[in-house]
Amino acid sequence: MQSQSPQVLVAKSKGKSKDKRQSLSEELLLLLPATVLLVGFLIVPFVMAIYLSFTDQRLIPNPVPTGLVGFQNYVQILTDPEFWQAFRNTAYFALLVVPFQCGISLLVAVFLNSNFPLRSFFRSMAILPLMTPMTVVIVIWSAFYRIPDGLFNNLIKAFGASTYVDWLGSAAWAMPAIVLLSAWATFPFQMLLYLAGLQDIPSERYEAARIDGANGWQQFWYITFPGLRNTNILVLITTTIGAFKLFTQVDILTRGGPIGSTNTLVRYMIQQGYSSQLVGYGSAMAVIFVIIVGALAIFQRVLVKNE
Amino acid sequence: MRRTLTLTAALAATLALSLAQAKDITVWVIDGTSERPYFLQLEKAFNAANASKGITAKVTPIPNINDALKAGFLSKKLPDVIMLDGPNMANYVWSGQLTPLNSYLDKAMLSDLLPAIRAQGTYSPDGKMYSVSPYDSTVLLWGNKKYLKAAGVRIPKNVNDAWTLTEFQDALSKLSKVKGVTWPLDLKLNYSGEWLSFGFAPLLQSCGADLINRKTWQATGTLNSPASVKILTTLQDWKNKKWIVPQSGGDNRFYGDKTAALAWVGNWMWRDHKAGLKDDLVLIPAPKFCGNKQVSPNGGWSWAIPASSSNKADAGTFINFAMSTRQVAQYADITGYIPARKSATPLSKVYGKGGEGELMAEQAATIAVVRPVYPAYPVISKSFGDAVLNILNGANVKSELDKAAAAIDKDIAANKGYPPFGK
Repeated sequence: MQSQSPQVLVAKSKGKSKDKRQSLSEELLLLLPATVLLVGFLIVPFVMAIYLSFTDQRLIPNPVPTGLVGFQNYVQILTDPEFWQAFRNTAYFALLVVPFQCGISLLVAVFLNSNFPLRSFFRSMAILPLMTPMTVVIVIWSAFYRIPDGLFNNLIKAFGASTYVDWLGSAAWAMPAIVLLSAWATFPFQMLLYLAGLQDIPSERYEAARIDGANGWQQFWYITFPGLRNTNILVLITTTIGAFKLFTQVDILTRGGPIGSTNTLVRYMIQQGYSSQLVGYGSAMAVIFVIIVGALAIFQRVLVKNE
Repeated sequence: MRRTLTLTAALAATLALSLAQAKDITVWVIDGTSERPYFLQLEKAFNAANASKGITAKVTPIPNINDALKAGFLSKKLPDVIMLDGPNMANYVWSGQLTPLNSYLDKAMLSDLLPAIRAQGTYSPDGKMYSVSPYDSTVLLWGNKKYLKAAGVRIPKNVNDAWTLTEFQDALSKLSKVKGVTWPLDLKLNYSGEWLSFGFAPLLQSCGADLINRKTWQATGTLNSPASVKILTTLQDWKNKKWIVPQSGGDNRFYGDKTAALAWVGNWMWRDHKAGLKDDLVLIPAPKFCGNKQVSPNGGWSWAIPASSSNKADAGTFINFAMSTRQVAQYADITGYIPARKSATPLSKVYGKGGEGELMAEQAATIAVVRPVYPAYPVISKSFGDAVLNILNGANVKSELDKAAAAIDKDIAANKGYPPFGK
């Protein structure tokens, strides 16, 4: 009973390799849906965009045939003042929104991670903005920014201002106004990431720190913040990429104005490729956009090394 | 048993036959609050009149119809009849998307159309008609009588005694001091898209300039001519004096909270204005922006048949029905637009002799200038619209117009002059 005959052993090993082969094909089968989706919706369109960026393709076919134009689209984009304005606007938006939004979401996450009554109620309240469609958020906030009697104008009036500010209509205020709205609308996503990160930090560290006499700020600075290192990298990169995709808010609220001061890369791309029907030009811009965002992600990754 | 079988077979055959004969025409129309009741009525009336012939129509309002049409052209999934914005017709025809309507349309109806509506639907390279609008539109000043009286300004009654530019500016200046008025003039800057060229091109045109030279089809030298610069500088000056409702001011300053005294907008606001101001509402003709000349824009959404339709004859029947005198008069009364057929005007309560909208019909018949019927129109409209917005936001007038003219000419060059135009 205890000793096995050679035949049985052989049969066993044969069965094993068969198992392996079977599991490999099963794995491939499981990979198939994701692969099809990735290839179909990401890789093929991107390869097409690269090809189209070297042509003068129009959206709707017309009597003038499409031709290859070499690097003409790229040269044109790099000398297009509106493209550079959109680029500066997008970078400005990211520069304002990323620290602001990360700060707020960390603050709220720390607050929601501590012990207080009705904690779960507040936790579910905090993700409400994320569940509201962006278009609805925009409608509500456009009422806040309304002139002369929106919420924000009434607020500054309460603080003694004698006139109103045209928040969305002035080149100086339009982008900060969009930043505030966007940060409010999407911060719960980063907050959830931070909340998960916070819960990964072992509570023993805080106990030890308390025994050593560390106050709340010291605990945050020496335990919480270093403990969130990997979360920080993830949040930073996703928020920056998200910021570069700014479109809906500016398209509905300001239409890129005043004088192009809130026009962004994605909005300009859609305008050129769809509204102006210049598919070739828009595709070249899309390729440049991917390069910019990719470079940024890699740069951030190198800057704050993952451990 | 055998009998029943034959009977069933015969029944099934008749059913199949009748199904094959019943022709469903699909129709895409614009999705507007004031238009919806009209389209509901149109569908019902058409189906009642044509049921015996086995033709039925399904009318669907489409939100963002411009985008839907573009997508439809690309995927070759378009209905039998569409509504398109009049000035986009030339672009669609040029790229081969539309069918000429001449052979399908009723001759008597065509000769009854307002000349400017015929001009809007006619494509000059082949002289054929590709779209036909049931209505005409116009832009004029709407006033709040209470404020105008308080300011003590003259209220013009017909096209001939319209305000001159000096009078208009004087009125704005006086109105800005009237109690309750925050901004004397609402230019509907909250609108986007076609409004900006529709509503503001008349300023250039009444000063001898235009969006594009209609003989050479070049924008540089016409769009950015000194006359354009001068009148748009005047407009910018009004903005600086805080005489114009800002872009974020919203839609209802004139008829809602009544903080604006005048509104420069088209007849589609008829219902809202009437409901908001009641007897205080007064219609004021388009001012004489330069010397003695005044211009109003015209035209609008039109019926057309996509080249891809496999049911063109029935589509033609539908359009003829929608363009009948009775239907055109109904369109006018339900939506507030001006009838596109001369014979429909007397039937309309609003636009007939002594009707409240008589002035609008007068403008449409006397001072309307059709938008350039040219394939580059979408680019022309967008470039000029952007320039207007930027100018009102304080950008340099000359350089904005230069930029717009250059963008238009660049597009024309990129399309090799839109052959067969310019040949």
